[in-house]
Amino acid sequence: METYFLKNDDLVKFYEHLAEDYDLYVPVREKSPVKRDECTCRASLPTDDYFLKKFSQVKKEDIVFNDYRAVEPTRAFFTHYKEEACEYFEDAGAKEKRERPVALCGIKNCDLFSLKVQDFVFLGGSEADPLYKSRREAALIIASDCPHFKEACFCRAFDINPYPTEAFDFNLSPLNNGYLLDIATQKAKLIAVSLKNLLVPATLGQISGRGAKRESVNMRMDEHLTQYKIPKKETLQDIVLSGYNSGIWQEEMRTCVECNACVFMCDTCHCFLLSDTSSSGSVKRLRLWDGCLLKNFTKVAGGANALKMRYMRLRNRYLKKFDFFVSNLGYQACCGCGRCIEVCPGKIDIRRILRKLYESR
Amino acid sequence: MKKNIYQPLKAVIEEIIEETPAIKTFRLKPEGGFKFATGQFIEMTVPGVGEAPFTPSSDPGISEKLDLTIMNVGEVTAKLHSLRPGEVVGIRGPYGKGYPLDKFKGKDILIVGGGVGLAPLRSLLFSLFATISNYNKVVLRYGSRSPKDIVYKNLIPEWAKRDKVDVLVSVDIGDSGWQGNVGLVTTILGDAPVDFTNTLGIVCGPPIMMKFVTLKLLDLGIKPADIYLSMEKSMSCGLGKCGHCRIGKYYACKDGPVFTYEQLKDIHDIWD
Ligand code: SF4
Ligand code: SF4
Ligand code: FES
Repeated sequence: METYFLKNDDLVKFYEHLAEDYDLYVPVREKSPVKRDECTCRASLPTDDYFLKKFSQVKKEDIVFNDYRAVEPTRAFFTHYKEEACEYFEDAGAKEKRERPVALCGIKNCDLFSLKVQDFVFLGGSEADPLYKSRREAALIIASDCPHFKEACFCRAFDINPYPTEAFDFNLSPLNNGYLLDIATQKAKLIAVSLKNLLVPATLGQISGRGAKRESVNMRMDEHLTQYKIPKKETLQDIVLSGYNSGIWQEEMRTCVECNACVFMCDTCHCFLLSDTSSSGSVKRLRLWDGCLLKNFTKVAGGANALKMRYMRLRNRYLKKFDFFVSNLGYQACCGCGRCIEVCPGKIDIRRILRKLYESR
Repeated sequence: MKKNIYQPLKAVIEEIIEETPAIKTFRLKPEGGFKFATGQFIEMTVPGVGEAPFTPSSDPGISEKLDLTIMNVGEVTAKLHSLRPGEVVGIRGPYGKGYPLDKFKGKDILIVGGGVGLAPLRSLLFSLFATISNYNKVVLRYGSRSPKDIVYKNLIPEWAKRDKVDVLVSVDIGDSGWQGNVGLVTTILGDAPVDFTNTLGIVCGPPIMMKFVTLKLLDLGIKPADIYLSMEKSMSCGLGKCGHCRIGKYYACKDGPVFTYEQLKDIHDIWD
């Protein structure tokens, strides 16, 4: 990995260069649509939100550096909420739809962790999902450090740091009047060739300056997280299994209105449903996001439903994330991004549920 | 053309056999043939309506024809039941793991079916018949709600005539013409002519039936690792991606649909 220094003013030139070959998405700040109660710890936490918007459609002055992850899950760039999986019985040759590859800026370490989960699902197994694969392979990931975090962020509780060190093409770390730019892949190197005049090799002093900043956000977050007593990741599988018959699921589900927002905003959730439609002679198969908090998720033809009660569906979600994935992938399908916490109108909080399960063992 | 994993192949319905008022066997001719191992399943498409998973009931040795025995229970199957020979459906697969026949060698095979659950077992029986010298004996115990709900009415007596094969059918409720056994299938397992210390139990049927048959087989001394269950779960992709069919740390579509009870016994609520 090579690290360079990029001046503040040159960031937009970097973006412009990327936008030549990619559909570039950049962070913009918006007033938070989801207000959380003030944090009880001493840290003063920012409450604005970031969205990744198309570079070509935003005003240059609206582009910001996002201090923490964006509102929407990164997976939405790789599988869309509702899209065509295939047509069938169309003999007129496959219509190869060519999409422009995306370049995503402002991707955080929690998002990168989630992409590993999505890759396992959509690239792994006996056959890869063709749409996901082509998007993922073509995409360029410009990750960045988190100098701050949100009230709901708890990545560190699962030993995920608020700064990326792998699994990106580029990484930006804000430092003095610019950024350290890590160039991690061959793809990134090739792009960087034509940016040579903007880039100065980073000095040891700059690298250690970044280290100090990273250490500082770690400490601040650890302090913030003390109040939540989130169980260690090594215990997650054990606590969801031993808590199977616990009353916690019912207690916690009382305020759920079954909107499924926690699932759709989750960056590690991946479930979908194939659904067929026919219009004007052609038959299409759609791939729709689905989620186990929805009532009919496990309903079979004939009406039987293994998850007929809401608390069973909540429990199912935790078993999937903390038992199934730990067994099959080696780690949990939760990155600690806190998106589910912010979006829940019933104030159902994964940090609280995990703690209660842990304490009731 | 680039292969798309969600795209079905065309198959023409050649023949439709009415097994019971609610169950039909569809004999398909898949375009270009279709290979599967017994116990694997397919996703069947009714064009423009949707897909549903089924385990073929035909002989895996024959790739030009594919039989699917299907009960009319939901939206897709209702539409399917209204189709006629000559119409086209789609198939995707085969998916999952079938029966590990190599582990069946030298064993007494006790096959227990309930209702339309005899469909996958029919395919298994064809495979076992083709390699019958590998097994000590094959015993079929089939339970049906009533005589008119029995599937494969013409085939079952033929199976019974085979060498090393023993067949007994029981109905929950008899009728005036029924001279066979009456009672739940669990009541005719204890007398099965097998050596329970060297027997594999193979079970397919409605969840509640599978539960009680499994308990009975354990009672009779069959080990959890020697009981094979076909698990019915909600499914969509068949490929281990959509997340619908999870059973504990497994996906029914990828790690099943056939599981040993040993694999499932510590998982909560497997029969729901
Ligand atoms: S969860 Fe961690 S990595 Fe993600 S935005 Fe928050 S601080 Fe950053
Ligand atoms: S469960 Fe919640 S905290 Fe975990 S990845 Fe999903 S949205 Fe983020
Ligand atoms: S049917 Fe999709 S994961 Fe099993």
